[in-house]
Amino acid sequence: MAKREQAQAEAAFMRGDVGVDGQATEEQRDEAEVEKDKAREQLLRGRTYLGRELLSWLLWSSEAGEPLVEYEERPVTVLYTSRVVLKGVHEDVTEMTARGATAPYSAEVRHALDRGLLVHSARLCFTHGDRQYEATLDAEHLDVRSAKLPQLMTEEEDDALQERLYLVEQLSGIVDALVEAFLAVRTSKRWRQKIVPAMKEWMQGSED
Amino acid sequence: MSNLTRGLPPLILPRPMPILSGNVTFARFGVEPAESFPTDVRRWLSRGLRARAFEPIDKHTEEERAAGFVELENHDANEFSPGRLFFGDYALLAWRIETLKVRASALKAEMAQWAAAFEKEQGRAPMKGEKSERRSALRQAMRLKAEPVTKVYDVSWNMKTQELHVWASSRKVVDEVVLAMESCFRLRLHAQVPSVTARRQGVADGALMPTPELLGMELSARELASLESSTKEVSRGKA
Repeated sequence: MAKREQAQAEAAFMRGDVGVDGQATEEQRDEAEVEKDKAREQLLRGRTYLGRELLSWLLWSSEAGEPLVEYEERPVTVLYTSRVVLKGVHEDVTEMTARGATAPYSAEVRHALDRGLLVHSARLCFTHGDRQYEATLDAEHLDVRSAKLPQLMTEEEDDALQERLYLVEQLSGIVDALVEAFLAVRTSKRWRQKIVPAMKEWMQGSED
Repeated sequence: MSNLTRGLPPLILPRPMPILSGNVTFARFGVEPAESFPTDVRRWLSRGLRARAFEPIDKHTEEERAAGFVELENHDANEFSPGRLFFGDYALLAWRIETLKVRASALKAEMAQWAAAFEKEQGRAPMKGEKSERRSALRQAMRLKAEPVTKVYDVSWNMKTQELHVWASSRKVVDEVVLAMESCFRLRLHAQVPSVTARRQGVADGALMPTPELLGMELSARELASLESSTKEVSRGKA
């Protein structure tokens, strides 16, 4: 054995990578197992599962099209549009994307939710009084992405900036109001006794 | 200082998600001072931003990246006079990142050209030391010629509601801005996510455990124990 190879083999042994027989000390981990561990880590990091439960609860409660909360004395309705990403940890599928105008409310998505996947990110339309906002939210950070704001009423540059900042704040306030409504339900007895069973029933429902 | 762009104008990429126009992408934080806000907030803010203001890369050094605060409407200015920093209840500013890199492939091609010329002239291949010396000289020359790439991300801070938005989609950039704001002003920025909102409302950790029926599984005791530390991370906006 050349000196260099010998030194490498010795270093690997010293690191504990190989045994005295030169064989690897640890078996290569199964790819699926590694993926699942990564998915679990993502789920727990910063309690991301709470964000996923929020977006899943919101999907369920928004289907009726009724206002979900009031923000600054005006009702807020939510509608999931076009794209929804689901993530899970315990079965073979750890991520699933559904696209289509009504895809978020489809039986496929509901059945996937029933199998333990939760909504991780989605495109939502918020109607607040006569204003309409659209934004993508993700469960981990609740960052607002690619949001469309209502048409500005002013044309003057300074006024337009003021109005834009106001609308952005309103959108952020709407998200916070929904978070608070979710937390009120999530921390009540109703969550386990009524809401979760109702959500499961909806997930298991037939085509319509 | 009012001109932070040295030499030729740098390649300034389109502003990713600006406050002033276009679609909107931002990360949301609540602002909490470590102690209390000073009485003259405007002066304190201007001074703090100047202390962490953007300084361009010095091409004569090995520096490859520079980052710091600039004015929102003039990315070449970092004076932060109240007239330029404040807009109603808001402090509006921007975080500028400049990178200057010599492409490895270009350096390699230049080196190969030099080595061939050297061999032709000297009748031998260059020695290791000669190569290394030449590489370093070439690298420096290429750095001097190269133009930095600049990206700018907006930051809006509502001083009344203490809500701060970082107008960036990259988590790395968001974390960098959060860290700069926290260290610059001795603040705590908390991400506006359910776990942090619940903690701030005084909800006990026990009430925030995952819902097994929705997850389709129960978490192990070890995983549940790890939740406490992850909540601390997210409250600092670094999840």
